[in-house]
Amino acid sequence: MNESLIILILVVATALAFDFTNGFHDTGNAMATSIATGALKPRTAVTLSAVLNLVGAFLSTAVAATIAKGLVDANLVSLEIVFAGLVGGITWNLLTWLLGIPSSSSHALIGGVIGAMLAAVGSSGVEWKGVVSNVVLPAMLSPLIAGLVATLGTYTVYRTTRGIAEERTEKGFRIGQIGSASLVSLAHGTNDAQKTMGIIFLALISYGSVSSTETLPPIWVIVSCAAAIAAGTYLGGWRIIRTLGKGLIEIKSPQGMAAESSSAAIILLASHFGFSLSTTHVATGSILGSGVGKPGAEVRWKVALRMVTAWVVTLPAAALVGATAYGISAGIGGLAGVLVVFVAMIAVAATIWLRSRADAVGHDNVNDEWVDSSAPRPASVGAAS
Amino acid sequence: MDGWLNVGALVRVLVFGIIAGAGLPALFAVGVRTQALGAGTISGQPLSGDRRPVLTVVSYVCFALVAVAVVVGVLFVARDFIGEHTGLYILGAEEK
Repeated sequence: MNESLIILILVVATALAFDFTNGFHDTGNAMATSIATGALKPRTAVTLSAVLNLVGAFLSTAVAATIAKGLVDANLVSLEIVFAGLVGGITWNLLTWLLGIPSSSSHALIGGVIGAMLAAVGSSGVEWKGVVSNVVLPAMLSPLIAGLVATLGTYTVYRTTRGIAEERTEKGFRIGQIGSASLVSLAHGTNDAQKTMGIIFLALISYGSVSSTETLPPIWVIVSCAAAIAAGTYLGGWRIIRTLGKGLIEIKSPQGMAAESSSAAIILLASHFGFSLSTTHVATGSILGSGVGKPGAEVRWKVALRMVTAWVVTLPAAALVGATAYGISAGIGGLAGVLVVFVAMIAVAATIWLRSRADAVGHDNVNDEWVDSSAPRPASVGAAS
Repeated sequence: MDGWLNVGALVRVLVFGIIAGAGLPALFAVGVRTQALGAGTISGQPLSGDRRPVLTVVSYVCFALVAVAVVVGVLFVARDFIGEHTGLYILGAEEK
């Protein structure tokens, strides 16, 4: 077994690990509102979402190599840069998960790759115009558009059902909510699993085991990416689900349906018109909009502000980790460098996981009353500590 | 900003987004309302002998339309897959 084959295996393993974090980081985008309103039991919701993500991943036909295309100079991308970028993405996903912040997994990955490229080649390796028009502008606009649509939807729904008994509307909209949330899960599986497939595909091409004229990756790539994102989704990022479902607004099922319908519509339309945007930004904007649209509802803008801050920081922070990872791996050189970074990443992941146990959020306490705090800590832990 | 942002496509996302993303919950709300009125309840109090079957039918039509929209959404996500495996290119899918 030669050195570059071992590096390839490490890159594939890291890519699947990223796909897994992508899964649990984004469970809340589709399911947080259904869990918060009681339309679905927490375990049922993550199971449904995991199955739909799995199915969605298999529906991908063309591989999205777009994660790097138009953002960095594709000719300069090496296995080591992809690896360092993935490390940046995973680290940022885990940190934001610990803080219960729904930040964009795609942005974390893009940031990581850009950082690694900057460290490896310098500014010339990055296509800044592509970064602004494909990443920064959509990120600024998509939550606003999704929020506007959800506000309109929520307002219309409450106007229409005025005077109808609340038990009746709650019950009716719970069913509608499950339908629209399922659509978001399916679209998520198709879009996001594709990104990891694209990365592994690129790695295989650069190793030389797959011809660059192929349009579809080998079946084991599709199966393993689908399984990784579904497993992550099933694990459920409960800390993030809690922030989205309970932290921003006290959500009722008519708001939940309006929010998920807005998310589903914007995600599907955007991909049709060629915008690459983050499911997370759309979902968060929609949930906020459903709070604004309901007459008399309270929106916790402090929690929202904390989230938006994290979104702004995501690209540079993941880039910093990616650049550092590349620096260490290239400084030591070869297989040894990649191995050192790989072990360091596992150590960081383990530390974050241990730290999360102190105020664990799970399916049993995800819907606890939101205490006045911007963190996802459940009330029971807050009272005990 | 020329070339930085496809404004035309953006406007289309906004317009169709409002039609589908806000229109469908609104249609569903009409369904919930007509269903309640059809059953003769307005605020949880059953009004015996005041059922209106026509409104009940209208409510089912609303729910059916929303269900159809969700099915179209699923087909939209799967359109390339369906095209590749069956040769039926629907909803704007293109043969590669």
